[in-house]
Amino acid sequence: MISVESWGIAGSVVDHGRVGLAWLGQSRGGAADVMSLSLANRLVGNAEGSAGIETSGGLVLRLDQPTMMAIAGAMADVSVSDGPAVGWGNPVALPAGAQLRVGRLRDGARVYVAVRGGISRVADQLIVGTDPATSAATQAAPRAPLSTRLRVWPGPRLDWFQPAAWAALTASTFEVTSTSRVGVRLSGIPLLRRHDHQLPSEGLVEGAIQVPPDGQPIIMLADQPTTGGYPVIAVIDPADLHHAAQAALGTVLRFSGSCTLRRHNHIA
Amino acid sequence: MKLLPYGPRAVLAEFETLAEVMSAAETWSAAALPGVVDVVPAARTVLVVHDGSFDASRLVAPSSRVVHLSDDEPVVLDVVYDGADLDDVAQVCGLRACDVIELHSGAQYTVAFCGFMPGFSYLVGLPPALQLPRRSTPRTRVRSGSVAIAAEFAGVYPRDSPGGWHLLGRTDAILWHDSRTPPALLPPGTRVRFRPT
Repeated sequence: MISVESWGIAGSVVDHGRVGLAWLGQSRGGAADVMSLSLANRLVGNAEGSAGIETSGGLVLRLDQPTMMAIAGAMADVSVSDGPAVGWGNPVALPAGAQLRVGRLRDGARVYVAVRGGISRVADQLIVGTDPATSAATQAAPRAPLSTRLRVWPGPRLDWFQPAAWAALTASTFEVTSTSRVGVRLSGIPLLRRHDHQLPSEGLVEGAIQVPPDGQPIIMLADQPTTGGYPVIAVIDPADLHHAAQAALGTVLRFSGSCTLRRHNHIA
Repeated sequence: MKLLPYGPRAVLAEFETLAEVMSAAETWSAAALPGVVDVVPAARTVLVVHDGSFDASRLVAPSSRVVHLSDDEPVVLDVVYDGADLDDVAQVCGLRACDVIELHSGAQYTVAFCGFMPGFSYLVGLPPALQLPRRSTPRTRVRSGSVAIAAEFAGVYPRDSPGGWHLLGRTDAILWHDSRTPPALLPPGTRVRFRPT
């Protein structure tokens, strides 16, 4: 068992979430950065979708049993009392009694902690699952750099915006003003609409870029509402979504995409 | 029907009416299209989410615009009609409270779509005499199980939340249960009735 002495900032137990329930009003949930949780799990020999911990810093764990752990996602100040150091991307066997602290984040927005065997949460205790009888990684994983350039596709309501809006989105920069599991708020050149029509709420996908009337875009993440009433100008390419999830406060993002991708418009 | 682009793993079909939306959503869900992982109806659109392998040009709007009513027996929700807005609704609609109850519980409803929160179902079939705009000031807290109406819709709050609909009563029904399949009591297409207790 593991005792959570502090959940810190936005600490929670996450897996890959549940896909296919948006028609019932339930978004995917699960890790905001699925790739990093998957990596942390692979390092300790777990199935990629095993439950681990997502945190934005301030997490403190006390191990009541010997436990193998690995950390991926954001780069953070990680310290261990009464046990060996745990570096990024490096599975480490920690003894009973060790205390692991994930402190301040240095690069990125969310850290993932995987526990060999997986975990299930009961209040402030984490029950460690059965050993997977696999081998853990013997080498540290290389860290792929976080990208601040995200590829985008035209969204369903691009034609609600002034012709210059696409160029403004793909040629200028946007600063992250807040991030939560619901979405990433950005500030930059306002993306202006051609009219002030009301949009009846419609389905949203993860990575959709919604634009409220003030013209400042919001990128939807894992806990997004399943429907929304702001027009979606563009969608982040699914392969770059984890970079959006790791964009910390103050990060300057760029979007790249081609408007010729609009060929799918008006199929019928 | 108009198909709007939504990136490499989704497409948005737009319709003129809610009836067409309900018909398309029901048809496409029942077809279990290969590669499609979610068919999400809303007020005027159906979002089709897929794994990247689905060819959106295969989406064809159903020829009949009449919503096929499921042959299943309706889900009946027992309601205690003691909602905080019952008298106000009656007054605004020029009715007595007992008329509101009779109209609301006498109608046949169908779930058009879900949204707002897990298990919140938008029911169509509300008698026109009870259709009125949302409250001008939303409540910061509406109790789980509250039976409510707004515009052309009836609904039930699955859990405590803020809310701007008019509250007519309450039910003990569990609208969302994680271990149930599907977890929502009232998925799109479900027929629903309310029974006064």
